[in-house]
Amino acid sequence: MDNVILKNVRAFVNGQFETVDSLAIVNGIWQDSAPEGTPVVDGNGALALPALFALGIDFQEPKRDDIYTYRSGFRAMRRGGFYGGLYESSANPVDGIQRLVAEKAALGYHGFDIQVLGAINQDYEAKALAEMCELADGGVAGFGDGNKAFGSMRFLRLCLEYGAMTQKRFFFLPYDYSLAHGGYVNEGNFSDMIGMKGIPEQAETIPLFSLLEMARWLGVPLHIKQVTSKSALDLIRRFREMGVNVTCDVDIHHLLFCDEDVASLNTSLNLHPPVRSASDKDALWEALADGTIQAVSINHFPVHREDKEVNFEDAVPGAISLEIALPALWNKLAERLGDKRAIEVLSSKPAEIAGAEVVNLGPGKKASLVLFDPNGTTDVTSKTFAGGVENSPFLGKTLSGKILGSYIAGMWG
Amino acid sequence: MTSSLSIRHLVGLQGVSESDIRTILDTAVEFRQLLERPVKKVPSLRGLTIVNLFFENSTRTRTSFELAEKRLSADIVNFSSSSSSVKKGETLLDTLRNIESMKIDVVVVRHKGTGVPQFIADHSNAIVLNAGDGAHEHPTQALLDMFTIEQKLGSLKGKKIAIVGDIRHSRVARSDSWGMTTLGASVTLCGPSTLLPRYRADFPNVSWETDVKKAVDGADAVIALRLQKERMEDSLLPSLREYRNYFGVTEEVLENAKSSALIMHPGPINRGVELDSEVADGEHSVILAQVTNGVAVRMSALYLLSGGRANG
Repeated sequence: MDNVILKNVRAFVNGQFETVDSLAIVNGIWQDSAPEGTPVVDGNGALALPALFALGIDFQEPKRDDIYTYRSGFRAMRRGGFYGGLYESSANPVDGIQRLVAEKAALGYHGFDIQVLGAINQDYEAKALAEMCELADGGVAGFGDGNKAFGSMRFLRLCLEYGAMTQKRFFFLPYDYSLAHGGYVNEGNFSDMIGMKGIPEQAETIPLFSLLEMARWLGVPLHIKQVTSKSALDLIRRFREMGVNVTCDVDIHHLLFCDEDVASLNTSLNLHPPVRSASDKDALWEALADGTIQAVSINHFPVHREDKEVNFEDAVPGAISLEIALPALWNKLAERLGDKRAIEVLSSKPAEIAGAEVVNLGPGKKASLVLFDPNGTTDVTSKTFAGGVENSPFLGKTLSGKILGSYIAGMWG
Repeated sequence: MTSSLSIRHLVGLQGVSESDIRTILDTAVEFRQLLERPVKKVPSLRGLTIVNLFFENSTRTRTSFELAEKRLSADIVNFSSSSSSVKKGETLLDTLRNIESMKIDVVVVRHKGTGVPQFIADHSNAIVLNAGDGAHEHPTQALLDMFTIEQKLGSLKGKKIAIVGDIRHSRVARSDSWGMTTLGASVTLCGPSTLLPRYRADFPNVSWETDVKKAVDGADAVIALRLQKERMEDSLLPSLREYRNYFGVTEEVLENAKSSALIMHPGPINRGVELDSEVADGEHSVILAQVTNGVAVRMSALYLLSGGRANG
């Protein structure tokens, strides 16, 4: 384990920033002092934030290790200040105890707090239920469908009804593939102006209603991934008022981009689900501020370079964001939501949703932090990213704020 | 002939009074004794004609009814859908009218459709005994379950009975829970949530469980139900493996029940699925006693509904 002394930082302790002249981390614990010879880092007034938790990570190993690996993913997490994440493999459904054991073994030894989502069905196919009781006992954080279509309403009902026994949360991205068929961007004025096939917001709201109504009927806790539209937020509010236990998150890109930004035809903005209108973006910010949305999700999805170096329509959707989420978002979040809420939506709330340990900084406590200078700048280049991919719409941009280092899983770096 | 029961037919146990159930069970005690004698036959139903109308396959229930009828000296006609005009598209009502024209006194019926016994009762003059209708009721199975428990443990009143398995599709579980609670037992129905009814207002005094160890906690008797393999094909369960691991009645599970708890099953058993062999063949298993008692209970029900008196 690394020992390090952080000099002259503002640490987030008990809900506020306080100036700390010397923050010594010894054997992973915030101590009063450190042995002689411990390396010293001068923070120059930078923020010591609790390390972050990433909802939505998929490193694509083992099936697509030509694109990305677990190792690349963990390097990205360390660079971006993430101590943990909720892992849902799109290629390798965790639909049985053997796959869970293998996935946990692959994800576990790096020291990060990785929670794994189990599959509701076998091989992500809407035919047979997964052995959810055994998966729950094996320690999955909840259940999802790998963003595949969840099949018939009857099959969804059976998945939720059976899985209800486990008392785990169900994670879904509401997305009707038939309505979205052939679309690439938000369906609206912009898509009709540029003549690109659109994906209507009803591709989100119609399955969302089904999910919420199922959750109300069957009494299961639900998490809605990557809410994109005002209409979807209204539905979530309405069902929550009816007593449905539903949490939700917003993708970092949906807070920072809207459909008009797609005019650049930057293939890294080919996302699943698509970014929507400017007014939807405003509604997402309001919902994050008023608590309708609990957390910001990261949805780190590596895409091979050659799958992005094509025309917009042919690009594989998805973006990576672990390395740049904090500088991309922090100053805007802190300004609009305040420091406390900004940390909540990036760290404690996503961790709670995933059933992971929440990080609280303080003397005598476990140190898991990211040192961040909100006044610095980050030039996003290929080198910013840990793996061999660079599918981020922030590539080539300069972000306000800079990560100076992180202490995660006993390592300073 | 006069009947000592307040019901004319036995289409189910829901709503049947405690005294009627008591009468059937008490009378069955006498018939049970008869079955131990060298000559196991009485002339009680001599001259009465009974049709066994089995639209659904059955081995043990049908054999048990036939034996009961023979031991009461009734005349028997057997009818099964596989050898009947039902296959040729005849309506149920027409089938019934044809049979009735043959001057039948008692109809014993099994059908995959809920309510068929009641339909027959409503449309004929015969006395009807339900031998199983859909997932609705199987009253004689429940009566033989109750008889067996009382035979081994005394009165059902205050006894804790756990029924484990595919409750949603089980006519046995329904009849058992209605009959046993009427006699004052406390019944827990346990199964995976996809195999439990969701709407439970019509199951008064029944508790529900998805944890088999909790369900059998302190139980005097544990009834395991047969798991149909079609439940997997129908996406109601992930696998037999997970079912066995979480809902199978095993020796480990039974550590939570009373050490003297009876082990019961309506048969046929899927060994190693709903019931482990060590349990099915163990010292507390009364599964074969259930089969013997079934004949006595059916004799009792046939005799009482036909209005006779035991010759004893």
